[in-house]
Amino acid sequence: MTDSRELIAALDRRVERRDERREFFRAAFGMGALAVGGATLGFAKRADAQTATITDADIFNFALNLEYLEAQFYAYAATGNGLAANLLTGTGTQGAVTGGQKANLTDPVVIQYAREIAADEVAHVAFLRSQLTTSAVAQPAINIAGDATGAFTAAARAAGVVGTTDVFNPYADDNSFLLGAYLFEDVGVTAYKGAAPLITSNAFLDASAGILAAEAFHAGIIRGALYARGVATPALRVNADRISDARDALDGVTGANSGDLDQGISSVTTPLTSSLGATSAPASNFVPTDANGITFSRTPQQVLNIVYLNRAAATMGGFFPNGVNGTIRASVA
Amino acid sequence: MTKQVELLEMLERTENQRAARRSFIRLCGGAAAMTGGLALLSACDDDDDDDVTPAPTPTPTPTSDAQDIAVLSFALQLEYLEGNYYTYAVTGGGIPAALQTGAGTQGAVIPGSGNGAARAVTFGDPVIAQYAREIAADELAHITFLRTALGAAAPAQPTINLSGSAAVTTPGGQAVGAFTAAARAAGVIGPNDIFDPFLNDQNFLIGSYLLTDVGVSAYRGSARLITNKTFLEASAGILATECYHDGVIRSALYSRGLTVPSIFTDIQRISDARDGLDGPADTDQGIGTAGNANLVPTDGNGLVLGRTAPQVLNVVYQNATPGTTAGGFFPAGVNGSIRATVANT
Repeated sequence: MTDSRELIAALDRRVERRDERREFFRAAFGMGALAVGGATLGFAKRADAQTATITDADIFNFALNLEYLEAQFYAYAATGNGLAANLLTGTGTQGAVTGGQKANLTDPVVIQYAREIAADEVAHVAFLRSQLTTSAVAQPAINIAGDATGAFTAAARAAGVVGTTDVFNPYADDNSFLLGAYLFEDVGVTAYKGAAPLITSNAFLDASAGILAAEAFHAGIIRGALYARGVATPALRVNADRISDARDALDGVTGANSGDLDQGISSVTTPLTSSLGATSAPASNFVPTDANGITFSRTPQQVLNIVYLNRAAATMGGFFPNGVNGTIRASVA
Repeated sequence: MTKQVELLEMLERTENQRAARRSFIRLCGGAAAMTGGLALLSACDDDDDDDVTPAPTPTPTPTSDAQDIAVLSFALQLEYLEGNYYTYAVTGGGIPAALQTGAGTQGAVIPGSGNGAARAVTFGDPVIAQYAREIAADELAHITFLRTALGAAAPAQPTINLSGSAAVTTPGGQAVGAFTAAARAAGVIGPNDIFDPFLNDQNFLIGSYLLTDVGVSAYRGSARLITNKTFLEASAGILATECYHDGVIRSALYSRGLTVPSIFTDIQRISDARDGLDGPADTDQGIGTAGNANLVPTDGNGLVLGRTAPQVLNVVYQNATPGTTAGGFFPAGVNGSIRATVANT
């Protein structure tokens, strides 16, 4: 092939990206997880990166932290109550939920969204815990407050959704709830997709695909609702776009696995070529995809950048004021 | 595998009343039919795209793994169906000729004529029109991506019955438009009525539900069978995209159901019909009722339901009989090594 060199280069880039993703995993590990003998943190050689012991349990525990967050938010919003106490225990430091309240939802459709998504997220928590059994991490401290001290307000201020001294309360009304939900949903999809090639067990992979799919349904429902309601309330689309930009800024703009990993929902001019020829017209953007129609991946570290609301290396902050539990716990700059 | 056994045991322990109706057998089995191999050689490497930035389209390097070829080829057949449906609905034409070629027997789209003919939908709600356009663009991108990923092994578009017409001519003789056949079998319409998915917003959404739900279950079911990690990640990304689509379609149907309650019963009938075709396992769910939405088809663990490839063929061939190799939306069958339904236990 004339372009074989190009192909090989592209292949190398992709392998490199995947290796770096593994490297990110390794870098984020607690020191204890590193191989004995002075293995260096940071960007070791690829061969070293391959030796890191990332178990499926590590990945699922990381996912469980995110599910705790999502489940608590939706459960409170839908019912006024959080997860049952017997779903919170485990290894690491168990923490409490700050804030969380029944959302003031009035549209029966949005009420249904909240109820169903809450049920799915609670099921994910229970499922992952049952899969991890005794190695399941405890729920870490979670901040889902709707007041000035809330992580939602910090995120909304940073995104420019509210003014720098204003409060964003995701429980205030239908639209606020949808924006609050939007803040999380795409992140979960990118996290599960990014982790998919790292899972070694076929059965775990199958389960992970099932959760990925559920999260993508949720994200589609939330984004579609924001887009449709944006006809009457254009600020919804604008604010969703701002949140997307903020996530994109948090997860890094340099490095091999950075770039545009996020998209807002506003209408975009969309060319379409059929057997009749090419046309171009506005379309929605309820699916954040690349040019191949494929959704994005994030490393766990990029996910932590977002939920810690910190683009630098950090081990806590934002929605997890004391950090997450498990071996994967640090974001990278 | 030990872990699969462990998982199955764990699943059994945690099954609740809802999950009890579902079969998790597919977690540990059902893959046997997927191991057939295409002997076709593709190009050199076995890795391909990731998808970090949306701007440049990566140049996937074709895979040479027989199982991956089988799985991705099967996915491509479904994408041909979905791609043509959405492209017709938006533009009045099918996918471009350049995207139809490949291994196996290339076929045409059968649009039918008169009521139910494949054509551009005159959308009433501009939001639905914009959804449709976005989905069409995604499906065309999936076709392009999979064709590139498969290289010389990429199978051609098969003959597709994309019609709701009362009678169409297929390679196997006269048939009913596949959408109408599906709607009749489900009891959504009477045995002599027409279901025209291109008539209006509501019918378009129901037609979308007919296809996209199946696409989701197919990618969901095959994720574990892909060996190449790069293709696995790409496939996970396509699965996610199909789920975004389906979430929007199902919630649009739900919202309309609040003023047109027949939508809930029609969707449930379609779901039941699909479920009846693919064997005893519960692989399908409707969108619930006005007071109890079910926008995400999940088991008791919150995992989206999946189908094996042969189960998918039961649905798109509209035939529960094992060994079926053609019918329904694919009157001449599909191309690739996975092409026959099998007995579902």
